[in-house]
Amino acid sequence: MIVEGILQNKTGFHIRPAQLFMEKANEFKANVTVRNEDGMEADGKSILGLMTMGFEFGSKIIIETNGDDEEKAGNALLELVNSKFGEE
Amino acid sequence: MEISNILKEETVNLELAVSSQAECLHVMIEGMEKAGFVNDKAVYLAAVNEREQKGSTGIGFGVAIPHGKSSGVAAAGLAFARLAKPIDWNSLDGNPVQIVFLIGVPEKDAGNEHMKILIALSRKLIHEDFRKKLLAVNSAAELYAVLQSI
Repeated sequence: MIVEGILQNKTGFHIRPAQLFMEKANEFKANVTVRNEDGMEADGKSILGLMTMGFEFGSKIIIETNGDDEEKAGNALLELVNSKFGEE
Repeated sequence: MEISNILKEETVNLELAVSSQAECLHVMIEGMEKAGFVNDKAVYLAAVNEREQKGSTGIGFGVAIPHGKSSGVAAAGLAFARLAKPIDWNSLDGNPVQIVFLIGVPEKDAGNEHMKILIALSRKLIHEDFRKKLLAVNSAAELYAVLQSI
């Protein structure tokens, strides 16, 4: 499953959002790959990998999930992005 | 973002002997003041501590990246510490920390310097080779070389 979201928290994808994303991704069995518009990709279960992506306010985040629970994983991660990670 | 441009000799601590996170931050912030990055240590420390309370900046791999955006910071700066003995940082992977990068940015963070520094750092830290080299450097000059190597 591939879903796309837009990063909406003003301060960007810093350590805290990366941590929350990694923790959510690890709740699922599916493999999670995150891509940006420049074609860079990272393991969605690696905080450092996620931090290298350079997502900022307004960036498109492409999330690909593969595995038994890929649909649940994709939806949960997109929901997390849309929730602005609990920030402004 | 060239990391070595915002790291000064005064903010590089090798074999730093500290026994706690508080002690570690104290020494690193002293260095930030000497280098001219920080003009109000107490105000900056409060911002760093406040951030740490929201969730540890110990990202795993023995590395922590504490940071704070604060009116106590005059100019964006970076401090490095390699600890003589690893200390607890309440890290995500539960492991103690031996490498600390402290980021300080002014309250009015023009151009999102904080994120630029964080992204540049993480793009280096993700390489195991780079982390190994950080553990082996013996001088500020060597650290600069390593920071420019990847």
